[in-house]
Amino acid sequence: MDRIAPWLQTHWDARAAGNFIGGGTGSGLAIVAAAMLLASGETQPAAFALAALLIALGLGLVWLEMGRPWRFLHVFLHPHTSWMTREALIAPPLLAALGIAAWFEGAASGVAALVLSLAFLYSQSQILRAAKGIPAWREPRIVPLLVATGIAEGAGAYLLLGAVFGVLPESPFAIALALAAIFARSLAWSSYRRHFARGSAPTGTRGALAAISPTVVMLGTFVPFVLLLAALALPDAVNALAPLGGLAALAAGWWMKYAIVRRAAFNQGFAIAQPPAERSGATRAEARPGWS
Amino acid sequence: MTRREPTTRRRVATYCYQCVAGPDLLTVQVDDGVAVAIEPNFCAAGIHPGAGKVCVKAYGLVQKTYNPHRVLSPMKRTNPLKGRDQDPGFVPISWDEAFDLVAEKLNAIRKSGLLDASGYPKVAASFGGGGTPQSYMGTFPAYLAAWGPVDMGFGSGQGVKCYHSEHLYGELWHRAFTVSPDTPSCRYLLSFGTNTEASGGVVGVRRHADARVRGLRRVQIEPHLSVTGACSAEWLPIRPKTDAAFLYALIHVLLHENARSALDLPFLKARTASPYLVGRHGYYLRDPASRRPLVWDVKRQSAVPHDTPDADPALEGEFLADAIEIGPDGEALERGSLTGTTAFGKLLEHMRRCTPEWAAPICDVPAATIRRVANEFLAQACVGETVEIEGETLPFRPVAITLGKTVNNGWGGYECCWARTVAVALVGGLEVPGGTLGTTVRLNRPMSDRTGSVKPGADGFMTYPFNPTDKEHWSARPNIRNAYRTLVPLAANGPWSQALGPTHLAWMFLDGTPKGLPGVTFPELWFLYRSNPAISFWDTAAITDKISRFPFIVAFAYTRDESNHMADILLPECTDLEGLQLIRIGGTKYVEQFWDQEGFALRQPAVDARGSARDFTDIATELARRTGLLEPYNAAINKGAAGAPLKADGYDFSLDVTKAHGREGIWDAVCRAASAELTDGAASDGLDWYKAHGFRTRRFSTLDWYLYPALVRQGLRFELPYQERLFRIGQELGRRLHDQGMTWWDEQLAEYQALPPWRDFPALWEKAAADAGLNSADFPFWLVTARSMQYAWGANAGIQIMHEVAENVAGHGGVIVNAATAARLGIADGDLVEISTPGRATRGRAVLRQGIRPDTLLMIGQFEHWATPYAKNFNVPSMNGLVPMSLDLTDATGSGADLVRVSLARVGGRE
Amino acid sequence: MTRWAMVVDLRRCVGCQTCTAACKQANATPPGVQWRRVLDMEVGEYPEVQRTFVPVGCMHCDDPPCMHVCPSTATRKREDGIVTIDYDLCIGCGYCMVACPYQARFKTDRASFAYGDRPTDAEDKGFDGGRLAVATKCTFCVDRVDAGTAQGLTPGIDPEATPACVNSCIAGALHFGDIDNPASNVSHLVAGNTHFRMHEELGTGPRMYYLWG
Repeated sequence: MDRIAPWLQTHWDARAAGNFIGGGTGSGLAIVAAAMLLASGETQPAAFALAALLIALGLGLVWLEMGRPWRFLHVFLHPHTSWMTREALIAPPLLAALGIAAWFEGAASGVAALVLSLAFLYSQSQILRAAKGIPAWREPRIVPLLVATGIAEGAGAYLLLGAVFGVLPESPFAIALALAAIFARSLAWSSYRRHFARGSAPTGTRGALAAISPTVVMLGTFVPFVLLLAALALPDAVNALAPLGGLAALAAGWWMKYAIVRRAAFNQGFAIAQPPAERSGATRAEARPGWS
Repeated sequence: MTRREPTTRRRVATYCYQCVAGPDLLTVQVDDGVAVAIEPNFCAAGIHPGAGKVCVKAYGLVQKTYNPHRVLSPMKRTNPLKGRDQDPGFVPISWDEAFDLVAEKLNAIRKSGLLDASGYPKVAASFGGGGTPQSYMGTFPAYLAAWGPVDMGFGSGQGVKCYHSEHLYGELWHRAFTVSPDTPSCRYLLSFGTNTEASGGVVGVRRHADARVRGLRRVQIEPHLSVTGACSAEWLPIRPKTDAAFLYALIHVLLHENARSALDLPFLKARTASPYLVGRHGYYLRDPASRRPLVWDVKRQSAVPHDTPDADPALEGEFLADAIEIGPDGEALERGSLTGTTAFGKLLEHMRRCTPEWAAPICDVPAATIRRVANEFLAQACVGETVEIEGETLPFRPVAITLGKTVNNGWGGYECCWARTVAVALVGGLEVPGGTLGTTVRLNRPMSDRTGSVKPGADGFMTYPFNPTDKEHWSARPNIRNAYRTLVPLAANGPWSQALGPTHLAWMFLDGTPKGLPGVTFPELWFLYRSNPAISFWDTAAITDKISRFPFIVAFAYTRDESNHMADILLPECTDLEGLQLIRIGGTKYVEQFWDQEGFALRQPAVDARGSARDFTDIATELARRTGLLEPYNAAINKGAAGAPLKADGYDFSLDVTKAHGREGIWDAVCRAASAELTDGAASDGLDWYKAHGFRTRRFSTLDWYLYPALVRQGLRFELPYQERLFRIGQELGRRLHDQGMTWWDEQLAEYQALPPWRDFPALWEKAAADAGLNSADFPFWLVTARSMQYAWGANAGIQIMHEVAENVAGHGGVIVNAATAARLGIADGDLVEISTPGRATRGRAVLRQGIRPDTLLMIGQFEHWATPYAKNFNVPSMNGLVPMSLDLTDATGSGADLVRVSLARVGGRE
Repeated sequence: MTRWAMVVDLRRCVGCQTCTAACKQANATPPGVQWRRVLDMEVGEYPEVQRTFVPVGCMHCDDPPCMHVCPSTATRKREDGIVTIDYDLCIGCGYCMVACPYQARFKTDRASFAYGDRPTDAEDKGFDGGRLAVATKCTFCVDRVDAGTAQGLTPGIDPEATPACVNSCIAGALHFGDIDNPASNVSHLVAGNTHFRMHEELGTGPRMYYLWG
C-alpha cells in the first residue's frame, strides 16, 4: 500500500460504527416510539428503555475507542462548532428523557424524547458529514440518509420489539410509519449512491458502495416493503410478518452504516494539480491516483 | 523542540563520509551527553556546495550510535567451525586479551615472513566503501603502511561493481576517476543511467536541483524510471547494455549528418590526437628520428611531428609520409614512405555504419529519437563560444554526457566510456566550462591535486602510470591475489590499485588458480572493516563459503553481520559520532564534489564511546606497539598517512616516533599541520581549534575544475580518439601472457582495440546464461539494480529509521515489475515472487510499476541479510546471490556488471 | 499580520526523505509516525510515465476541518496561522484524523521504539508520554519558530528559527516564511512561479504552496 491513492481509514474502527448503529437505531426507535405515543396515545414503554440502552451502548463504545477515555469530560468543550460535542451535550438530557418516558407515560415526556432524539440523530449524521477527510462521509447527502435510516431502523426495532415482548399487537400505524421511513431511506440511499456512481470519487469508495448496494436495496427496501405490505394486507399474519419486515429494515440499516464507516471510508488520498514543468511522462495535468 | 529542556545542550560539528558522494558537514545536538539529533552545519553553508547539509543517511547516525545490537565489547569465537549454519559462539573478552590474540598472530607472521609460498601477503584487508572507510579508520592506514605488504584485493564490490571502467579509462583520458557534468553551468545533459538523485550526494542533488530550475535539460537513458529519470526532462527506456550503440549512433550523427564545421575543429586539431597519422598495421606513423607521431601539415604539405609549432594539421585524409611504424615491444613494423590515414579519418570510417537506424532495434529506442537527441546535443554545445573564469578565457560548451553503473563497467564499459569521451571531444566539451569533467584522481598522483597530476608523457599526451607490459618489466608474478599488476595495465600500481583490480578473481582463484599464476592462498590473517562481502558481492553463497575457510579473521564490527559471522575476533571501534579524525574536504573529490574551497574537517566525539568501543587510532597505536612497529607507524603518520604530512617547509609537528601517542596527541599534530598547510605556515591551530570550528578552508580555484587549461599550458593533447597506446599494450600483454601459457585472459585481450567496434553486449549475458545450461526463453528478463539513497553504505540496512523512511520510495522492500508484464503473468501487487537463475533463486514481494521496461526487473539496494540484526527480518530479495563470479563476464579492466538473465514466477499471494 | 506558510518546489524535490527523517528526529516521533513525508507518485502508462515526489504534511489550513470537529478545543489555530494541538486537552477521539483530507494526523496508543520495547538513550531523551493516545501532527516546529522570533530571528531565514524539515532539505525544495509579508522569501517564490495548493477545491485554504514551473 503506497498510502498515496486513497486508503481505508483506520482511525475509527468497529466501535465507532457501533456508535452510529446503536445511537442511530436507538434515537430512531425513540422517535418512532414518541411519534406513536403522540399520534395514537399508545406506545411500548420498553421501546424508550431499549432506545436508551442502544444509545448508551453506542456512546460506551466510543468511550472505549478514545485514546484518553478518562478525559471524556473534555468532549463537552466545543459546542461552538463540533458536532461531537453537540451529540455529547444532547445525550444526557436525551437519556434522562427516555428514562422518564419509559417509566412515566405522558405526552410531555414523549415530546421531549422526540425532539431530543431527532436532535441526537441529526447530530450523529452531521458528525460524519463534518469529517472532511473521508469522501463517503463528507457528502451532504449522508445527513438525510443517516436520519432516514435511523428512523427506518427504529421503526424496524419497534416492530421487532412488539414481537419479542408481545406487548402490543402490531399497530398498522407503526407499520405505515415504518414503510414511510423505509421509503424515505430508499430515496436517500439512491440519491447518495448516484452521487458516487457518477462524479469523481475514490475508486475504493465507489466499489464498496456498489458492492453493498444490492443488499441495501433488497434487504433494506424490497424485502421489508413486501413483508410489511403483506402484514398490512394479512392481519392474521401481521404479528409474524411485521417483525420480520422490521428485522430486515433494521439489519440492512446496520449493514449499510457499518459498510459506510468501515468499508467505504477511503480517505482523500493525495493529488497534484500539476507535475513539475518540463518533465518526462504523462501529459495529463492533474494526477489524482486512486480516483475515478 | 518538543523535547524537555536538558541541563546541558551542545552542538558538535563533524562530517559524514558514509558514501563516496561526501564528505559533507553536520552538527550533532547533544543533550546531557546524549546525541539526540543531526542537523546541517549552517556555518559551512558558505563553503559547502550543498549549503552545509547532509542527506537522509546522516540522520540515522543517532540510531546507529545507540543501536542496541551494537557490538560493544571485543569478542572471540569459541566455535572453531565456520559457516552460515555455524553459531560462532562469540564471547566477550577484554581488550587486553583481544590484542594478545591478534598480536600473537601478527607477530607469528612477522617472524615467518610477510609473504607466503606463493608470494602473496599473509595479511589481507578489505574495507569496501570506495575508500570512504579511510575517513573512519583513524591512523590504521599508518599501521598497514608500517606493516608492509598487505593484500587489499579481496573485493566486496569495488573493482567490479563500481564505476570501474570509467575509473580507469577516465583517469587515462582526462584524469577522471569519476566523471561529472559541470552542473552549475551545463545546459543539456545526456545521462546514461547515472542516478544522481539517488547517488549524487548532497552536492550532486543540490546542484542538479539548482540546474533544473535554471533550465538544464537532462535526458535520462535507462531501463527503468529511476528517481533521476523522474526528475529529468525526458526518459528513454533503453534496453540494458546497449548504451554503446546509442552513443555510437550519436557520434555517427555528429560526424556524418552534420557539417564538419559544426564540430569543434580547433579543439580536435590542437587538443586531441585526431590529426595523428595511423599506419597500415594500426600504429601511428612516427618521425624516424624522433619517433614522434606525425601529422600532415596542410601549410607545409608534408608530414611533420605532431608538436611542430604553427602547423595546421589535416583532420581527414590519407597521406604519404617518410615514417616508421612501431608495433608492440618496440618492433619496427615498417619504415620508409608509408601511407597513413588520420585518426579522425579512421574514426569516420569506424562510425559510418552506426546510424540511428542501426542502433534503434539494438537499443529499443526509435531512430528519430536518437537522431533528435544527437542534434540537440550538438545544437546546445555552443561550439566556438567562450567564457571567462577567474580572468582566463576558456571554451564554453554547456553539454555533457554521463554514464552510470552497469553502463560504465563490465563488457561494453570500455566502449561506452570511449564513445562518451569521443562524443564530448567532438564538440570540444571535454574538461571545459559547462562540459564533461573528471573530478578526482586515485591512480595518478598526486591524489590531492588533479591538475598537478597532468604531466607530459610520450606522444604529446599526459603520462599514465601503466603497469608495464614490456618483456623486462611485466609482472609475471603478481604481488597480490587478484593479479592486477599482471592482468590490468590500466590499474596502475599505487595505493588504490589493489582494490581497482579484478577483485573477484581473488575470491574465484581460491578454489582453482588458472595456469600461470601462483596458487592463490588463503591469507593467514584478514582485517575486515565497514565491509560485508557476504552481502555486497556476487555469488554470495560462494563468498560466504570461502570466508568460512579463512583461518583468522579480525573484524572491526559495528553489529554482527553476514561476513563477521565467520570472524575469529570482533573489535568494537568507535562509530561515526564517537571517534576522532581529521580529513581533507573540498578541492575536487568523487562524484560532483568539486568546490571553490579546499581544506580540512574534523570528526570529533559528540558523545562518549559506548560500552568498550575504542577509537580506531588507539587500536592502531596499540597494535603497532604490540607488533614492534611503533616507529615505522609513527613515521608513516609523520609522512602523511593520517591525511597531512606533519612536516614541511616552515613547520614540523612530527611525533616522537618512539612513543605510543594517544589519539588526541596524534590528531592535534595533524590539525596543526593542516592549519599550517592551509595558511602557508601562518597558522598552527590544533585540535581545540578544530573542535570549536569544525573545519578550515581556503579558496580553491575553479579553474582547477577544468583540465583544459593545464593541457594548453603544457602543450598536451587528450589521447583521443584513437587508442594506439592501448592497442599496443594489449598486444604486448597478450604476448607476455601467452609466453607463460596463459590463454584464459584472451577474451579480455580482445578488448584492447584502438577503435572499439560495437559488440552484441547483451548477447554476452545471454550466452553466459546459456552456458550455465539454461534456455534463454526460460529466463526472459533482465535483472538490474539501482541505488537507494536511504540505505547505501554505512551498514544502514540495520538502522530502523532508514528502513522506515525508505518505504516511502517505490521498490524498497521488493522487486519492481512492469505492471503489464505482471498482469500477463498473473502477478498482483504484493504477491510473493521468485526470481531465479539456474540453481539459484531469491524471493520477494512484487512491486508493480509503470516506470520500467516490460522485459526488466529491478531490485533496489542489496539485501537478503541473514545475520545483521533488524535487516535479517526484511525478507527483501537481492541480485547478488544470483550473479555468478565469472571470467566470461569480466572485461579487460577486470570489472563486471550487475546484470543477469532471470526468470520470474509467482509463488504466493499477499500475506 | 504574520501568516506562516510553507513553499514546496516540486521541480527540486528528489524524494530522498531527508526531511522525513529530520522531522522525525527533531520531533522525536515514534516509529511509523511521519509528520512530514515525501510521496513517490507515479502516473501514466509505460512508456509515458511521470513520477513526482511530493512532500506532504499538515497544511495549517486557513479553515481547518480538524479544528471545527475537535470536541475538546485541543486543536486551535493561532493568529499567525499555525494549527496547534494541546496534548493535555485531547481525548484521543480521532475525529480530527478523519476530518483531515491530508491524512496529516497520527495517534499512537502505546509507546513504541525503534528497536523493540525499550527506548535507546536518544529516544528516552525525546520521549513524551503526554503524546501517547492523542492526536499529533506537524507543528511547523512551533517551538523553534517561537524561540527564534523571541530572539529576533526570522523563521525561514535563520536556521535556528526554521522548521527542521526546511533546514534539512538537500535539494533546497522546502521554504518557510511569512506569506502575508510581500517581501518575504515565500511571497517572492509564490509570486514568481506557477503554483497550486493541494485539494484546494475542498475549501480548506491550505498553507503549503507547491511550485511547479
